[in-house]
Amino acid sequence: MNLKIDTRTTEGVTVVSCAGRIVFGDEASALRSELKTILNSSKKVVLDLSEVSYIDSGGLGTLVGVYSSARSAGADIKLAGLGQRVRDVLQITKLVTVFEVYDNAQKARAAFR
Amino acid sequence: MAFAPTSKLTTESGSGVFPSLVLVQGEEQRLIPLKHSPFSVGRKVDKDLVIADPRVSRDHAKIVSEDGVFFLIDEGSKHGTFVNGQRVQRQKLERNDRLEFGVRDGAYVVFHPQHPTSNTAREFLSQISGLQISTDTTDLEKLTMFLEAARKLNTTGVLDEILVTLVETTLKLTRAERGYVFLKSEEGALRLAAGRNSKGEPLLDDKTISHSILEEAVNSASEYLVTDTSQSLDLAARRSIMAYDLRTVICIPLRKPQIQTRREPVTSETAPSTGGEIMGALYVDSRFATRDISSVSHDILRAVATEAASLVENARLVQAEEAARRYQQELAIASAMQQRLMEVHIPEVPFARVNGRNLPCKEIGGDFFDAVSTKDYFAVAVADVCGKGVSAALLANTLQGMIYSHLVARMPLAEIVAAVNLFFTQKHLGEKYATVVIARITPDGELEYVNCGHVPPLLISNHQVTRPEKGNLPVGLLAEATYESGTCRLQPGDRLLIVTDGVTEAENARGDFFENERLEKVASTSSSFEDILSSVANFCGGTPLTDDCTVVELVYTG
Repeated sequence: MNLKIDTRTTEGVTVVSCAGRIVFGDEASALRSELKTILNSSKKVVLDLSEVSYIDSGGLGTLVGVYSSARSAGADIKLAGLGQRVRDVLQITKLVTVFEVYDNAQKARAAFR
Repeated sequence: MAFAPTSKLTTESGSGVFPSLVLVQGEEQRLIPLKHSPFSVGRKVDKDLVIADPRVSRDHAKIVSEDGVFFLIDEGSKHGTFVNGQRVQRQKLERNDRLEFGVRDGAYVVFHPQHPTSNTAREFLSQISGLQISTDTTDLEKLTMFLEAARKLNTTGVLDEILVTLVETTLKLTRAERGYVFLKSEEGALRLAAGRNSKGEPLLDDKTISHSILEEAVNSASEYLVTDTSQSLDLAARRSIMAYDLRTVICIPLRKPQIQTRREPVTSETAPSTGGEIMGALYVDSRFATRDISSVSHDILRAVATEAASLVENARLVQAEEAARRYQQELAIASAMQQRLMEVHIPEVPFARVNGRNLPCKEIGGDFFDAVSTKDYFAVAVADVCGKGVSAALLANTLQGMIYSHLVARMPLAEIVAAVNLFFTQKHLGEKYATVVIARITPDGELEYVNCGHVPPLLISNHQVTRPEKGNLPVGLLAEATYESGTCRLQPGDRLLIVTDGVTEAENARGDFFENERLEKVASTSSSFEDILSSVANFCGGTPLTDDCTVVELVYTG
């Protein structure tokens, strides 16, 4: 598996840091189940993607999937620290207009206050 | 560790020329016919035998046939190819050789195994002929007769006939009243598979059969041969023996024949009776003590059971092979149908033309394009469904059908993709979605396009490339998405080039992507869409495509 997920909650905001590749298969499944667990207890989530080198169409589907289910559960996921590749993909698919995107996790955390 | 069977099973029946491989993984054994040469083994999905284990190299090894002799050749694998425990580069294969690929502690493959008593399932089926029966026979001759009969059974209803023959022959040998074969179901329960009385009439399971002996024989994997129950005290308590006055009961477990490798050599003493799991039992009983039973030696009856087990196993292999073959045929029909649906018939119109090409990286991909002509315009659609394989193909078919019919009905482009999005999101297809570009042009050069999450198309006019930027979300991701189309005017000779991200993300050995810059450069300098594909191929060198590549161009001729 090429994705490492690290979770830290402070002051009511959970920052989920991903490192590696978010691709169809184990990686996307791991991210999906991790976020599902987190959303049971936290309504404010920052997804820090600064260490993500690549996201494929399957990974993108997962990202939008968890985002939609978070929204319908009254929770919010903000994205932070997009690398060039992830930014390009979100740009082409116009998903930048869907997600709230911040330069880094700190700014995303601050936006929840 | 997961093993995927090959999808290249041919429909020809076994000729006996090709040997078989048996994949042994723990308790499981799978027969894989070696129907063509070279037969490839590796981690890559297009291999004949795919072994999804990280210790297996992508191109691990191959088996080739040279003048009927088979060789195993290592293809430069990282962790080695082994025959009977020895690492090999190129090795002539003998029957029952044990082949291992990278993994030394897990599953292995046995080359062309020889069962203790029978050949492969196919060969077994091909043995058809008449049978000589003489009346005055000794027990051993009777046994030989039985074995002959069993071997030469015809192909129809293989398993049932084998079992009935087994029961009838055993009844003749023992002169017992009733005979049954029980086989274990997948859940482990014993089910009656065949029953006959001495007159040859079919019998059903009933309470008068000593189920306690049957189950004990199976559970303890040992034979029961009781010729006079009245003298056997420990049997007196058994209900059916008492109630129905059974005086003679024989019960012999049927063992699954073990496939032996050279690493675990077979000795004649251990071969037939040890090892194999119990697959059922042969049961014979009588209400009188027969002299014949005691005169037929124990060993002969055991040999009967061993042979029967082997025959049953072979018949099951044949049945499984048939089922797999039928399944492959169904898949082939579905695949052919999918391809026909995806075939593009480009209509001819006087003011424009469309060229397109799709390079799938796997058998079934998620890219497609289509072209539609109505009385007002000429339209082209390109889509990339996320994911690969059958699920992507299903979605691609649905998407193509919807887009086609909406275009024919001359719906506005934004409404078409909104309808598709509504359909996909309402069906809750999980995280499946598609990126789509639809463009349509009128005879006077008015171009309307809608881009849903797709790589922006390239508009090439006098070797100048522009990217019509108006874009929307992909279809199928978010129910609340809204869609807008864009317009521009084309001059005769202008071209609109639409590619999927398999083109821009084509990777070379260094890990670089083809990217938009290279795409725009080749698009501006060449006049043929074929140049785009050859440019991608040159860029990738030998690196295989990881995603489908589709290139479609719409040329406005005026």
